[in-house]
Amino acid sequence: MENNLLEVEKLNVEYITDDAIVYALNDFSLNVKPGEKMGLVGETGAGKTTLALSILRLLPQKVGKIVSGSIKYAGENILEKPESYMLSLRGRRISMIFQDPMTSLNPVKTVGDQVLEVLDLHFPQLSKEEKNKKVDDMFQMVGIPCSRKNEYPHQFSGGMKQRIVIAMALIAEPELLLADEPTTALDVTIQAQILDLMKELKQKFNSAVILITHDLGVVAEFCDSVAVVYGGRVVELGKVEDIFLRDRKHPYTSGLINCIPDLSSTTPRLHPIPGRMIDPRVKVEGCCFANRCPHCMDICKRKTPEMIYENGHGIACHLFSEQEGK
Amino acid sequence: MLRKKKKPLSEYSSWELVGYRFRKNKLAMLGVFMFMFILLVTLFAPLFVPYEKVIEQNVVDKLQGPSSKYIFGTDELGRDLFARVLYGGRVSLLCGLAIIGIAFVFGAIIGGIAGFVGGKVDTILMRIVDALMAVPSALLAMAIITALGNGVWKLVIALSIAQVSRFARTVRSSVLTLRNMEYIEAAKCYGSSSFRTIIKHILPNGIGPIVVAATLTLGAVILSISSMGYLGLGVASPTPEWGTIISENKVNIRYYPYLGIIPGLCIMLTVMAVNFIGDGLRDAFDPKSKN
Amino acid sequence: MALVEAINLKKYFKTPKGLLHAVENVNFKIDEGKTLGVVGESGCGKSTLGRTVLRLHQATDGQVLFNGEDIFKYKRMEMHKVQRNMQMIFQDPYSSLDPRMSVRALISEPLEVVGFRTKLTKAEMKEKVDTIMELCGLPKDHANLYPHELDGGLRQRVGLARAMVLEPKFIVCDEPVSALDVSIQAQILNLLMDLQDTKKLSYMFITHDLAVVKHISDEIMVMYMGQVIEYAKAEDLFKHPLHPYTQALLNAIPTIDLSRRNREKITIKGEVTSPINPDPGCRFFKRCPFACEDCKKEPRLVEVESGHLVTCVEGKIL
Repeated sequence: MENNLLEVEKLNVEYITDDAIVYALNDFSLNVKPGEKMGLVGETGAGKTTLALSILRLLPQKVGKIVSGSIKYAGENILEKPESYMLSLRGRRISMIFQDPMTSLNPVKTVGDQVLEVLDLHFPQLSKEEKNKKVDDMFQMVGIPCSRKNEYPHQFSGGMKQRIVIAMALIAEPELLLADEPTTALDVTIQAQILDLMKELKQKFNSAVILITHDLGVVAEFCDSVAVVYGGRVVELGKVEDIFLRDRKHPYTSGLINCIPDLSSTTPRLHPIPGRMIDPRVKVEGCCFANRCPHCMDICKRKTPEMIYENGHGIACHLFSEQEGK
Repeated sequence: MLRKKKKPLSEYSSWELVGYRFRKNKLAMLGVFMFMFILLVTLFAPLFVPYEKVIEQNVVDKLQGPSSKYIFGTDELGRDLFARVLYGGRVSLLCGLAIIGIAFVFGAIIGGIAGFVGGKVDTILMRIVDALMAVPSALLAMAIITALGNGVWKLVIALSIAQVSRFARTVRSSVLTLRNMEYIEAAKCYGSSSFRTIIKHILPNGIGPIVVAATLTLGAVILSISSMGYLGLGVASPTPEWGTIISENKVNIRYYPYLGIIPGLCIMLTVMAVNFIGDGLRDAFDPKSKN
Repeated sequence: MALVEAINLKKYFKTPKGLLHAVENVNFKIDEGKTLGVVGESGCGKSTLGRTVLRLHQATDGQVLFNGEDIFKYKRMEMHKVQRNMQMIFQDPYSSLDPRMSVRALISEPLEVVGFRTKLTKAEMKEKVDTIMELCGLPKDHANLYPHELDGGLRQRVGLARAMVLEPKFIVCDEPVSALDVSIQAQILNLLMDLQDTKKLSYMFITHDLAVVKHISDEIMVMYMGQVIEYAKAEDLFKHPLHPYTQALLNAIPTIDLSRRNREKITIKGEVTSPINPDPGCRFFKRCPFACEDCKKEPRLVEVESGHLVTCVEGKIL
């Protein structure tokens, strides 16, 4: 087997608030290979962002807590490492792009300095000229003229800002890029530009990418493999083609696909998933999707389904487990 | 009402929630308790000591430290400091409340009009307010008192003018943010008049920060009444007022420190109590703070 | 006769930098029971258009006819009468509901405002709110809850109920599903379409999401920086878009249709700027792959096929 770059094993994360405990991730497992383009799809509150923050160990202090499980990055369990180790990891080997380009840049520093800062932190051995050269190259790559290096974030439009954020994330040539809804705040034509750019740069640096999004279309366009997340768990896992094309799907995945209005569909009515998201403050017995599932069986309410693999395609659903199903 | 059973938090109205959060804040409740205590004791001062004591001079007993006969001691004219502090508190507190009240009403009107109407009206009103704000409030008050002559009510007017601008700004900025909320637009959509919109939507949502500002300013106002009193403006001797009391005794404070410490403590405790209340209100009005 | 019609509608805003041409010469007709979709990227003037039609913004020029009568000529009291028939639902389910009012208070508020004139009794009002809540899929026991206790989908239902309670004939929907999760989005879209069927409602559906607009609309109007550049029946527009911008827009949508994955990409350079003191001519000029001298001519919509209007085909201004 190929070595995995990132292995998340049975990760449990809780947020402890004044009045309740929020179970954000429950036995969350996910592997990412070097250079893989993994899409993490799910609705609000599914735990997508929590996963990204856990990998970087940036969960809000005192509130967010990793209860159990492990995160292995390049073979080492980073949950056991000291903070200083994380500092050398963040921005250098793992970097992150946030959803809102308006707030992820410092408004009082020029964009050139902000990109340069990443180099200052992680490559102090480089000379000033070398660093400047690298920054110039990076600007070129993300499609911003170097002459605009000395401008401030507010002088750029939303799409341009996101390009700068990408430049910051990629300049240290990380092995893993966490992109949290990088195009959600942008218009479609700009989204297309940014996705193209990310694809191109991904090819160049060969980083692995975890693209977090709620938009199945974006996943279909960009990713090799997909993890569908619901209620803090991965419910289905596999190649893009398999997820969209094969017939045996997790009921949540097919629900999700059925409820998006698609350009090619002609049905007069959509098929929404009935009910609403489970309350993350309640620890669920059994399958987390049971209360909305059209195929819910007795066992679904009692036992949490295990991930069953079939040709590398994983589904966590009792419908598909041989011995449990009828 | 018969229903005595405590209803669950989820059924609380948003106002009840504000109240609930405020009551849970221990520091704020301490503030309320302290403030009520000071206010009641000063208002019901005649129950403890007759007013004559305030001006009655007893030269034999002058400059006596706190004792069983004179709880807070006496000043250089032999006047009972306890009586003076108690009755002085009436002036300080009532003037403070009056100033806040006046400033609140006028500030809300000016700021509300400026924020809701906008355009030229806003510009003109705000420039006037800016001009007022540019002058240090103590200086402004002094100028007004000098022009109008000395007296408690003139002090109140002078200090409220100085505070109006502050309130006007707070009110205007909260009206401005609220005016752009979609629910205000929705109200316009179903034909709600401006007046109704202000009463039903803007006022309830905007009152929080303004009330907080009011309580926090009350402390500052009591301090400025006292400092005005200390400078001999506004409240003239022999009418007692906490600041005036300190100022009357400034010669003797060095050797008889209780003369400064006791009225000083009163000012400090009141301001502290009011600030606790203000902080508590601010937290209680913040919808993000859960329960 | 169309239920709602706009004739040469214009809305300009004064800004410190100059005159912002937010809506430029817009014409449209919406028949009873039909939906007009308005699509475009942020800043194209689609929301301003919706608000101008409802007179939430004072139009700079032009007319809006409701049942054939120009509503801009109405005095205040007459306007109130029309207003009952023209309502709006908003994008943000968080800021469109007053946080200090319960669900019941929010929904009955429009009735109270109108009640000054129509004199509804308390009981009648309560009954009406109950029916509307049921119609909009709001559980009865939610009446005493406050907006912060509801999720996005339920809030949007409350917003819809508030608009529906006056029994309008026409609703402007300003991105009503953009802030919602896909599964909830589908519920709301279905609800909107059910209501349309039972109540013969007309919608003006404003959105940036082309898939949604295709799903719900009968006719679609594509806007770019204040100008309408293409106007056609929904199927026609998607089957063969004519304007270069529409083509690029359709091409840019990511879809789950994997066969489209390797389609030839039409990426357009650059981004939308705001139309402050715009030069005459087509405003898509700067990003258009076919840009030429012709583009400086004032664009106007020309009917190239029955019901399919466009300003420009492959760089040729019509």
